[in-house]
Amino acid sequence: MINLALASILLPAIGAALILLSPRPWAKRLGQVFAGLATLALLVLAWHFAQSGWVAIEYSVIRFGDIEILGLVIDSVSVLVAVAVVGIGFLISVYSGGYLDAGNREHPDGVKRRYFAFLSLFVGAMAGLVFSSTLIGQLVFFEISGLCSWGLIGYYEKPKSLFSAAKALIITHIASLGLYAAASVLFLETGTFSLAAIGQLPEGYKTAVLLAVLVAAWGKSAQLPFHMWLPDAMEAPTPISAYLHAASMVKVGVYIFARALMASNGADEIVGYICVVMATLTIIYGFFMYLPQVDMKRLLAYSTITQLGYMYLGLGLSVFGSQLAFNGAIAHLFNHAFAKTLFFLVAGALSYTTGTRILPQIRGILSKSPLLGIAFVVAALAIAGVPPFNGFFSKFAIFAGGFQVADQHPLLMVLLVIVLIESVGSFAWLMKWVGWSVPGRSSEAVAGASAVPSPMRFVLIVLIVMAVCSSVIAAGWLG
Amino acid sequence: MTPSDLLPFLLLGPLVAGLLIFVMPVDERSAWRVEVLHVLSIFFVLIVGLVVIASVLSGSTIFASSNWLMVDPLAAVFVGLIAVVGCLTGLYSIGYIRHDIAAAELTLQQLKVYYGFFNLFLFTMLLVVTSNNIFMMWAGIEATTLGSAFLVGIYGKSTSLEAAWKYLIICSVGVAFGLYGTILTFANAEAGAVDPHQAVLWTSIVAHAAVLDPMLVKIAFVFVLIGFGTKAGIFPMHAWLPDAHSEAPSPVSALLSGVLLKCGLFVIIRYAMVTGGTVGPEFAQSLFLLLGILSVGVAAFLFFTQRDLKRKLAYSSVENVGLILLGLGFGGPLGVGAALLHIINHSLAKALLFCGSGNILMKYGTRDLAGIKGVLRAAPLTGVLMMAGAMALAGFPPFNVFVSEFMTINAGLGAGQYWLVGLCVLLLTVVAAGFVQIIAGSILGKKADAMPVRDVGWQALTPMAVFALLIMVMGIMIPRPVTDLLTSATHLVQQPEASTIVADQAPPSIVFQK
Repeated sequence: MINLALASILLPAIGAALILLSPRPWAKRLGQVFAGLATLALLVLAWHFAQSGWVAIEYSVIRFGDIEILGLVIDSVSVLVAVAVVGIGFLISVYSGGYLDAGNREHPDGVKRRYFAFLSLFVGAMAGLVFSSTLIGQLVFFEISGLCSWGLIGYYEKPKSLFSAAKALIITHIASLGLYAAASVLFLETGTFSLAAIGQLPEGYKTAVLLAVLVAAWGKSAQLPFHMWLPDAMEAPTPISAYLHAASMVKVGVYIFARALMASNGADEIVGYICVVMATLTIIYGFFMYLPQVDMKRLLAYSTITQLGYMYLGLGLSVFGSQLAFNGAIAHLFNHAFAKTLFFLVAGALSYTTGTRILPQIRGILSKSPLLGIAFVVAALAIAGVPPFNGFFSKFAIFAGGFQVADQHPLLMVLLVIVLIESVGSFAWLMKWVGWSVPGRSSEAVAGASAVPSPMRFVLIVLIVMAVCSSVIAAGWLG
Repeated sequence: MTPSDLLPFLLLGPLVAGLLIFVMPVDERSAWRVEVLHVLSIFFVLIVGLVVIASVLSGSTIFASSNWLMVDPLAAVFVGLIAVVGCLTGLYSIGYIRHDIAAAELTLQQLKVYYGFFNLFLFTMLLVVTSNNIFMMWAGIEATTLGSAFLVGIYGKSTSLEAAWKYLIICSVGVAFGLYGTILTFANAEAGAVDPHQAVLWTSIVAHAAVLDPMLVKIAFVFVLIGFGTKAGIFPMHAWLPDAHSEAPSPVSALLSGVLLKCGLFVIIRYAMVTGGTVGPEFAQSLFLLLGILSVGVAAFLFFTQRDLKRKLAYSSVENVGLILLGLGFGGPLGVGAALLHIINHSLAKALLFCGSGNILMKYGTRDLAGIKGVLRAAPLTGVLMMAGAMALAGFPPFNVFVSEFMTINAGLGAGQYWLVGLCVLLLTVVAAGFVQIIAGSILGKKADAMPVRDVGWQALTPMAVFALLIMVMGIMIPRPVTDLLTSATHLVQQPEASTIVADQAPPSIVFQK
């Protein structure tokens, strides 16, 4: 199994190197093949893991003397998340193959090697981060993923996109200093970088390490006070926005904090309070920022910030002793990955076919392109958390877990009620745009739309299916 | 032939080669002879250097020429640096100088001057790091100034002559301070228990450090720090550095920044070991921390604001020297190990970038970042290598600088210097932003339409590719011999008395042990 996990990290990295060395027309296929191979490796790994009875294993890969530098951990959480991030990476590579061509009405473009090389490396770095069992390993992959996102956000090389790329890189890099600090403190106190050692730290140090990890996590996940890079990062090509903001970059933060909590054997309540309060603030902030948005991608950007807030809410609640909230957060990470990817890719398909992504200009999608119309509705309902779509189940688990522990913590009850109100509000707001855009007679822009290329259709269909099923998979997998 | 017999040859090789190049007649058809001699010389240094290092690794400090020359693990680190970076930049020079000759920027006579002084420069640096006689060490540092000043001013333009002049004056004055420190140390040792013939030898001084006069030792160390710190480019003595680095031919800039600064640091480390033996490590450490954070702080912002690519890189060197000082100042096995590792890592990455700036000069004819656009389009391989180098220096994994920066931060937190570390990492973020700016503004973007798509020749690209490879290797998996060498060197810097004359203990297996 370890070899399969290693393969999922190394194959995309090798793919990235090959793409750079090969002639340009091969870039697309190479990127797709290597991401596909990595996905395959992970599916086989998941199957083996389930067969062998969900036994977690750890394995050290690089050691320096007695100190483990890079180790891999295979357990139910890491396998689940890895399948999502790498699998979506593969879907994005397929979609990008259709998106990056001369028929694109928003950005007519050919395939460049750089695009697939960074994307492929990104997929490998995500797999590495997810499987990493040491803080320093997480830090390394954290920074590599930051680097890749920088290369991809600035892909169009306009001054604005380069500026946004640098902004994303610098802000996440500043936040990553938290991870530096956490790794250093852990090492100086215990002599190892292994995540498992967090549990053995004395109480004060443990809180410090967890909070330092949380700071790094906020940066990557664009939570307050590090939220400002994410809306600007919408300068990226849309498939990249989908990958960064649904499956990979922002999920890094949630994941490393979840890992640290898993290793901590119970954290101080102050960690939980800080996490929950900031999550609530972020959720409220994100909601108010929905209101003025007319650019579909910017709306999705703020929706991403909010949904990530829900994951932090779940993780924060789990500090108070609710395993249900923790599982809810992980399941939400998994579910949101598919739903939000779908939503972004719908936005991408709209701008590909119509040349615009400004919502007021987009009306009557359903009559022009039933697939896009359905995908739009499914994505919106899943994000808003309407049953039977996936977002509902994980949000429900977070709230249920929250109310369990809120009995003893009145403050939590207040916060939960606020968040509940927000979820109703965001449902209403998303429905407003669904009602505006999907049914009725096509607006001028939509009526003149071109056809959606078949690779993009394929990916949209897969994601629609997953937006319904992923919750079942996550629930079954996490038990 | 024993390693002791070999050591003088390591020095003689480039010296003889340099002198031969000077006396060799050249015309257009025989210019290749100079190049052949040059290549033979740099490979000779590489091979002999590695053999010397190998024998140091097997556990013995090498002495030669009645103990005037000595290579212990610490010196071996620097010999390795000179050998590897010298060889690769020497190879890079061939393509670069040929281009300059073809563009009539240099004459054949200047070609001779270039290769001759290049080899003399290598010789003087090797002399510094292998010297056990403190006066010879000082003379070696002075000689590096003389050797490289001609290289800095080789283009003979007013700006380059001014840079060379400034370099010569500031460094000579600085190194004069170094001489006071050297004399004080010698007098101190001679007045103490040490036999005058032995008192010039660093090994005997450090072995008797405990009996030296503490006050004199402190004064001497301050002189040394100012004097040799000028050479090392420590703020506020760095004023010569941006001019000299930017005006010199690019391979020489790489050598100045990658190796010469480190030779200055080497001498400072040697004296810090003596000082540590007399008054304890805290005195030197507090000075290192002060100058280190000042260098990082000032250089980070100056780096960010420069518009000239090579000046930018020069300020980045000051910043990295500051970081090395911080590592030394934090102390402990982790801090010293981090500093030594950073010395190597910075050399490799900076040499790569300076070579890259050379490619850009060949291609665009300017160092002004505003005039350099779309390198990745115009010269793809150069662009990719420059990106790798810039990312490495910005401190991103999987490149090497990340490892040593992380170790330095770790050492600082371990030493309880939370505020200093906090300040330092924020400043490093400014540096990272500056490198990102270079990439975003100049490497990426659209190229000018008139600029043809053609990379520079393979002679220039191959050494750069090797640098990039070394950067990756040092970032992902530091090779075993390097860690062993660094471990012994760290051990030596920590406890000089224990390992003088004969380093008989087996080195511990890792650099950072708690």
